[in-house]
Amino acid sequence: MSTATLHSETHAHGHEEATGWKKYIWSLDHKIIGLQYLFTSLAFLFIGGGMALLLRWQLAYPSTQVMPSGDVGNPLSLSFINPQFYNALFTMHATVMVFLVVMPLLIGAFGNYLIPLKIGAGDMAFPLINELSYWVYLLSGVIMLAGFFVAGGAAAGGWTSYAPLSSVAAYNGTKMGQTLWAAGIFINGLASIMGAFNYITTVVNMRAPGMGFFRIPLTVWALFITAFLLLLAVPVLSAAGAMLILDLNFGTSFFNPAKGGQPLLWQHLFWFFGHPEVYILILPAMGMASDVLSIFSRKPIFGYKAMVFAMFAIGFLGFIVWGHHMFVSGMNLVLSAAFGVSTMVIAVPSAIKTFNWLGTIWGGSIRFTTAMLNALAFVAMFVIGGFSGIFMASTPVNIFVHHTYFIVAHFHYVLFGGSIFAIFASIYTWYPKMFGRMLDETLGKIHFVLTFVFFNLCFFPMHNVGLAGMMRRIADPTAYEHLRALQPINQFITLAAIGLGFSQLIFLWNFFRSLKHGAPAGNNPWEATTLEWTVASPPGHGNFAVTPTVYRGAYDYSVPGHPRDFIMQNEPPTSESIHGGATARRSVPTG
Amino acid sequence: MRFLFSRVPLLALTLLGLAISGAQAEIRQTSVWWLPRNVTMFGHEIDFIFYVILVLTGVTAVAVFSVMIYFIVKYRAKPGVSAVHSHGNNTLEVIWTGIPVFIFLALAIYGNEQWTQMRLKTPPADALPVAVIGEQFGWNVRYPGADGKLAKMSAASVTKENPFGVDSADPAGLDDFTTYGELVFPVDRPVRLYLGSKDVIHAFYVPEFRLYQDMVPGRIYDFVWLKAEQTGQFQLACNQLCGQGHYKMFGKLSVVPQSEYEAWAKGKAPQPTAAKETSTVPVVMAGR
Repeated sequence: MSTATLHSETHAHGHEEATGWKKYIWSLDHKIIGLQYLFTSLAFLFIGGGMALLLRWQLAYPSTQVMPSGDVGNPLSLSFINPQFYNALFTMHATVMVFLVVMPLLIGAFGNYLIPLKIGAGDMAFPLINELSYWVYLLSGVIMLAGFFVAGGAAAGGWTSYAPLSSVAAYNGTKMGQTLWAAGIFINGLASIMGAFNYITTVVNMRAPGMGFFRIPLTVWALFITAFLLLLAVPVLSAAGAMLILDLNFGTSFFNPAKGGQPLLWQHLFWFFGHPEVYILILPAMGMASDVLSIFSRKPIFGYKAMVFAMFAIGFLGFIVWGHHMFVSGMNLVLSAAFGVSTMVIAVPSAIKTFNWLGTIWGGSIRFTTAMLNALAFVAMFVIGGFSGIFMASTPVNIFVHHTYFIVAHFHYVLFGGSIFAIFASIYTWYPKMFGRMLDETLGKIHFVLTFVFFNLCFFPMHNVGLAGMMRRIADPTAYEHLRALQPINQFITLAAIGLGFSQLIFLWNFFRSLKHGAPAGNNPWEATTLEWTVASPPGHGNFAVTPTVYRGAYDYSVPGHPRDFIMQNEPPTSESIHGGATARRSVPTG
Repeated sequence: MRFLFSRVPLLALTLLGLAISGAQAEIRQTSVWWLPRNVTMFGHEIDFIFYVILVLTGVTAVAVFSVMIYFIVKYRAKPGVSAVHSHGNNTLEVIWTGIPVFIFLALAIYGNEQWTQMRLKTPPADALPVAVIGEQFGWNVRYPGADGKLAKMSAASVTKENPFGVDSADPAGLDDFTTYGELVFPVDRPVRLYLGSKDVIHAFYVPEFRLYQDMVPGRIYDFVWLKAEQTGQFQLACNQLCGQGHYKMFGKLSVVPQSEYEAWAKGKAPQPTAAKETSTVPVVMAGR
């Protein structure tokens, strides 16, 4: 790892550019690390998506089917999906999507790529730790998926891995798989923690001259706040994972009541991480979608400071709502009241953000690029996911809809409808910067329309089957008399899921084809204002030949009297167009 | 509203050639698209809150989407028309922060009030006590005999052989009888449940009862009670992932007139010689 030890005086960021294939293995450049995260997590996205299709197939055509007539099986069913494998599939689908896809895409890929570029820094504060975090993340993914190849199969206790099912081998039958799951979670947590303090240090210390905190683009604000959530929440999960490994393999009983342990301890530890995690998975998406909406509406973000404060509020409140996942475990009334109120209150900053997004497109001059369409879909789907969340926040209703497909619909509206649409918006926006070429807009729009339509056909009816009483995590709904009538809807959902899955191949084709054949992007194809668009696409090693000086906020679009409808952040003020956007507080750059 | 929600999608699906077969439809007495019928006393309140939230979110959703679509159409890029330069409006921020705070707090307080009422209402003295102890993958059920009292139970005494954790010295338990996976509740009579688990976490879930309760091993839940107001056949489902056989951990649950219940209980009552606690024999619950 020779590059790690080189400290060139000419490079302010402390390392030199690796070349050739080595670039993709040992490079300490935040941009390459971002791309490593991007490619790896997209690969995991397709693995996790494949698992989802198998799950859907089993629900539509169960191999376990036992009908009153005695008919067993269905000509369309896949016999290799037995109940244990089904349980392993949904456990690993969620684990992969949360820990190996959405988190690394938002935070690893875009966080790495965009933070230094957007604040005018040459690299992250700790490039070596940055690269280490990627390799540790990859290792955690390999360990988790290795569970499929060990005796007993992968962990099958749900991504929440409630003890004592997860912690006692005799109950789960997947001692090895569950141990690998916990080890993967622990190691994945290390990657998150390394990334988090790196981002915080970078944003605090390495902003370009003039880049006051209230001139930072919302993408960076969102990632900055998310980094604090990671730093505070992830260690708790890592600790829980370590305790789980001890319980499974070394005879402790933290969670097994038969030997004096407490199953609710796991739930508290898991959800103390798990609820901030929900916001870890959506805050960066909110930040990036905000920027995309602003760029393509040709308007400043509506209520920039309100947006920042709303994210602070979400970040803080996110730590005091975890109990709403445990209403059904028999919670003390005072506690359930407190968690119920805090859960309702956390909806307020989300509402504020939604209104400000509407304010941003109001009066705009909207350019309907694929990126913009995805960002608009993000807002709409997030609204639906937010509304279905209100049902869960109300304790009595929560009792009824808990663990039904209603909640499956809810979190897919937030995680796919929210985060994944925002990720698509971001890929379409920043791909030209990353690779110097444009994605094909026609293919992009076809991809968007198909994804949007199939997404809703797939996930909206899940609200209905959930209300109709269908439980989640059951390998065969036809085992229940009262659910058999729902089977046509389940088959319909499965068809939509297949459509949704296959639509992504268009994206894949567009993504790889455009690497070579896309139209050249130029420095600033979207006519955006932030610093990453002032440099070449892709930016060279070290990002900025000269450290930029920032004179204004990140959103000077359509300033009256200015010849263009955007003013770059590093454009010095002229007499008629002084628009700081916010206070012109200077920070002292140290990068 | 209910008509709209329940019938239109069904019609659409039927047109798509996914008609629901008659053989399947007879089991459900309500639409497959909506809440199953409610048969318990507390269910009315839960359904009411559900509809309050549905109307509230539905109206807001229509409003938000209307505004969004209007903006998208009206403010599409047009040659020669530039965007408004605005960084926001503090009055609007105050309004759209204040109104949601008010609505969400009201919802939280109202929902919590209802929940507290439900939970604090102590079961009437004549409530029928029934113990249900989950295990991988079935339900141990214990009913009181003629004395109307179950033996004393404690979570600490729950073992493989003694799934209910009963105190065998307690004379109240002598006439108790047990079933495996079969529950019968008398209609219009309060039933007090004692819920627990032998191994992992299970959950007692009956959608028509609007009832879900986790059964965490190591404790006996004694606060759940209900009153079924209609007779019928239902399925009790475990709704907390409990392992390989989770998907078929269901039980038979009937709500019957009091007289029918008494006849059933009489038939189940233990013979005098077998009055001691007997361990239940797990039955493979495949099919029906």
